[in-house]
Amino acid sequence: MGAKAQVGLSPIHSRDIASPRIFRCMNTQLLPASPAASSSGRPELSPGKRPPRGWFAGQYRQRMLRTDLLTVIAWASVAAAIALWLADGGATNITSPASLFTAAGIVAGLAGMDLVLLMLLLAARIPFIDRTIGHDRALEFHGKLGKPSVYLLLAHGLLLVIGYGMAEGLDPVSEAVNLWVQVPDMWLAFVSMALFIAVVVTSLVAVRRRFPYEFWYVVHLLTYAAVATSIPHQFSVGGLFAAGTWQRWYWLAICIYTGSALVYFRILEPVLATARHQLTVSRVEAVAPGVVNIVMRGRKLDQLAGTGGRFFIWRFLAPGMWWHPHPFSLSAEPVFNGPDGQGTLRVTVRNLGSGSAQLLRLRKGTKVALEGPYGLLSTAARTKNKVVMIGAGIGITPLRALLETTPFAPGEATVLLRGRTEQELYLGSEILDLCQSRGVRLFHLTGPRAHGHSAWLPEDSVRNGYSLTSYVPDIRDADVYVCGPAAWAANVIADAGKAGVPGEQIHHERFDW
Amino acid sequence: MKLRGTAAAALASAGILLAGWQTGTQVNGISTVASSTTATGTTGATGPGPSGTGSSGTGASGSTGSAGASGSSSSSGSSGSSKSSASGTYKGSTVQTRFGPVQVQITVANGKITDVTALQLTNSDGKSMQISNRAAPLLRSKVLAAQSANVQTVSGATITSDAYLTSLQAALDAANL
Repeated sequence: MGAKAQVGLSPIHSRDIASPRIFRCMNTQLLPASPAASSSGRPELSPGKRPPRGWFAGQYRQRMLRTDLLTVIAWASVAAAIALWLADGGATNITSPASLFTAAGIVAGLAGMDLVLLMLLLAARIPFIDRTIGHDRALEFHGKLGKPSVYLLLAHGLLLVIGYGMAEGLDPVSEAVNLWVQVPDMWLAFVSMALFIAVVVTSLVAVRRRFPYEFWYVVHLLTYAAVATSIPHQFSVGGLFAAGTWQRWYWLAICIYTGSALVYFRILEPVLATARHQLTVSRVEAVAPGVVNIVMRGRKLDQLAGTGGRFFIWRFLAPGMWWHPHPFSLSAEPVFNGPDGQGTLRVTVRNLGSGSAQLLRLRKGTKVALEGPYGLLSTAARTKNKVVMIGAGIGITPLRALLETTPFAPGEATVLLRGRTEQELYLGSEILDLCQSRGVRLFHLTGPRAHGHSAWLPEDSVRNGYSLTSYVPDIRDADVYVCGPAAWAANVIADAGKAGVPGEQIHHERFDW
Repeated sequence: MKLRGTAAAALASAGILLAGWQTGTQVNGISTVASSTTATGTTGATGPGPSGTGSSGTGASGSTGSAGASGSSSSSGSSGSSKSSASGTYKGSTVQTRFGPVQVQITVANGKITDVTALQLTNSDGKSMQISNRAAPLLRSKVLAAQSANVQTVSGATITSDAYLTSLQAALDAANL
């Protein structure tokens, strides 16, 4: 079937552009598939078996349906928290200004608690959420809920202090002191409030100032302390778990589910995956200056096939390194060389910081823990039959793995690789081989970057009047995968939008969380 | 697509809130009936009602600190005329707490407290009602045993207990016990 896949480029490109080198990848004969491609995991994802026309559109509709379902669940949970309070007769106790303040304070607390639980669920890496909106968007929503929930919790405290104070004829400050002193577990609630404020403020500052990941991580661990210290007063003072109320069952269910989802998906499942695959570093090979392939040996790797583009969180269990989590995608499909899915995995790593500098000196035999795969930069995000992959620098490597498996017909895919020099097009020769065997148009875009608009392209290309659509005329009808540095990727996405690519066809995963 | 999700979510939330509101008004109707029947049941047992209506009880509530400000209590009962053998029912002052007002009524026969009834108990939310329902019978039996307001508070219901005993003291003062 590949025999007729003559992938033509408009002549101007092949002749006129000096710097963007074009490889015309023609599939004039059925090439024997490369070893990596032939052993690539699940049959439905292997290039040979493409889904029927319209399959990706159906997949997209299903995913949108799941997105809507998640939206409904999120909103409905806040509504339910308030509705159950109403159902237990909350509003009928409003008889005076004092009780109005008290009721408003209770509602704010219920909504705030519900939002905090939603935030925890969004960060719990629940597969359903990850498959539907992706890891980065889940965390984006998680971040967006931070401020509202802390405002609601603050309002909860203030309104109740005012309401209680009015009922007793006290000013809010002495009422707050009274609550701290007299009411059991209340001082813990005050501590909890302080912790919540600390977490949200430091998170917002950390986002802006780009604190190291570890700082961010420790601050977030405080969230668990904040939630834990808020729980006693919910039992002894608050009505959330009061016997004989409707609310009790709702809050028990959502709290238990959130707790177990966190424990299972963030602790237990990674431990199980690490034990299941028993990965050890088998070799570290140089790809380019400061860039290495880390090859790991393990078992049951067939379960990790077809995850190209998605990322794993790796921990190399060596002294001084084990606590440092690294989010990397596979840069190739697993290669099998034994029974029971025995084989090797490969990630390609560039020296970007103190953590990854150590990776260049990894010893053979180092045990490796992994979590994942996470994210939606994969075949699961596809909405169309055509594919465009645009990668820069080390961002090329996840696309390399995706290119290996994601289904498309010869001639329906285009790959654009961007780097300052040929050497920076990491794994460029492997990608060339894949393009040749699968019938993919490939462009190497090298040289210093352009200024002004289309800054993601080399200067030469822009000067010669080329834009995204010169390379991919049919981009409006394709899924566009973008992987590279944040500013560069934002540029690409802006250009794709201008070229008329709808937002849902642009797939980009932020790796800098 | 996004609009569809948002609209569905808004609709679902509105429906849930409405259902909650509806249930709430019904449930509360039932619960007030239930609490008022218990209250009337015990007061009904008092038999002979108070003969006179003295307003001297308010003075007693001065000892209740913050509650004194309200001063809304109207302790009904004969006071002063026959000090030694006070009989009848006496209402204590209404003590405002952050979880709702508390007021008790005592039944006195031949100078002894024969019954204590809570006319109002902390009820601002489900938890407060739960605490009240647990604490009230305990406090009642303690008071009946001690024949005074000088009893220990119920742990976990400190606020309710304090208010209950303050109101009780006002009622005892009104009854000159």
